[in-house]
Amino acid sequence: MKCTKMLCQECATQWDGIWHCASCLGTARGATVERSPVFAWIGVVGLSLLFLYLGARVMVWTGAMIAGLF
Amino acid sequence: MIRTPLSTTSVLDEAAEVVSLTASPWAALLMATALPYRFLQALFIDQLIEVHDSASSYGNLLGATANVIVITIVIALAGRAIYARACRLAAARGTAPGREAWRIRPAALACYILTASVTMLVGYVSLFTIVGYPIAVIFAGLAVGTVEMNERVSVTRPFAHIFRHAKTVAIPVALTMVFFCALFVALANLAAAASLATWLASAIGGFDAPNWQVLFSPGNRRYVLLLFAGALMIVEPFWIAANVIYVRKAGAEESGDDLRAWFDELRSDELRSDELRSDELRSDELRSDELRAGEELKEVPA
Repeated sequence: MKCTKMLCQECATQWDGIWHCASCLGTARGATVERSPVFAWIGVVGLSLLFLYLGARVMVWTGAMIAGLF
Repeated sequence: MIRTPLSTTSVLDEAAEVVSLTASPWAALLMATALPYRFLQALFIDQLIEVHDSASSYGNLLGATANVIVITIVIALAGRAIYARACRLAAARGTAPGREAWRIRPAALACYILTASVTMLVGYVSLFTIVGYPIAVIFAGLAVGTVEMNERVSVTRPFAHIFRHAKTVAIPVALTMVFFCALFVALANLAAAASLATWLASAIGGFDAPNWQVLFSPGNRRYVLLLFAGALMIVEPFWIAANVIYVRKAGAEESGDDLRAWFDELRSDELRSDELRSDELRSDELRSDELRAGEELKEVPA
């Protein structure tokens, strides 16, 4: 236990093989904060726009190259 | 319902069933969203053939067309994502999906646009190589097949889904080969249908029908390009449905859902055969009762 309190086995809860008291468990549960998806959205949208832009450029480049071959 | 083990034929078989369930209005929606993209693609190739050697001097014209194509690609990708959802719903329920097919998660759509834009870029870069483009097509198919798996927006997870399903590469390769052949079958059918329509239209007066014969002939480059665009649009619903079914079946194999479904089917077959057996026994008993009653009647002296 993190708080080093003395507790009976009925009052303690085992989590990942470690015994915790109720308050320590509550703190541990509160500590798991969901990461905001804003950065993921910015990344996905930004990369999509970049790849679409590059796709358009490469389309012209490849097309011009192939048209020059025939 | 997963009915048969994972194989190319089973995927194609179930895909055909799913397409028949989603034909109206979802396949029509897919075609409507793909129409501007395919039309502009044909225009772009026509422009390239037109400018030929001096293509590098027409960068602005080709670039402008390419930019508009990219905008129409986003519309086409949204249509594909909605159709993939409709296919998944149809495969899961065995009935035609309703309005819920529209409710595609924004995260799934965003991830799909990312993966599709990457495969498009890879496809154009590898156009010179013989192997590179088909590989990009396979990945594009898996990207549309795994659209619904992206529950949260992420840069890496959509690619992880694609690579996980690309491990058993034989079936996606076989599907790509089948649809490559199907493209020419669709092309021939479309050309025949267009010829028939032109011939029938020539019977109606009031417009320049003889000119149509010239326009709708293989000698007209634009007509041939539009035929190819049309053939791609015809094959596209089957291609998307096949990829959705493949991903679904492969996932079911991994999670053991196919075994569960197989046991359910066996159990239902067993129940059905038990019912049949009990029905047969009952009818046998009835028949023997009737015979016994007849014999008893015969034994009674007149």
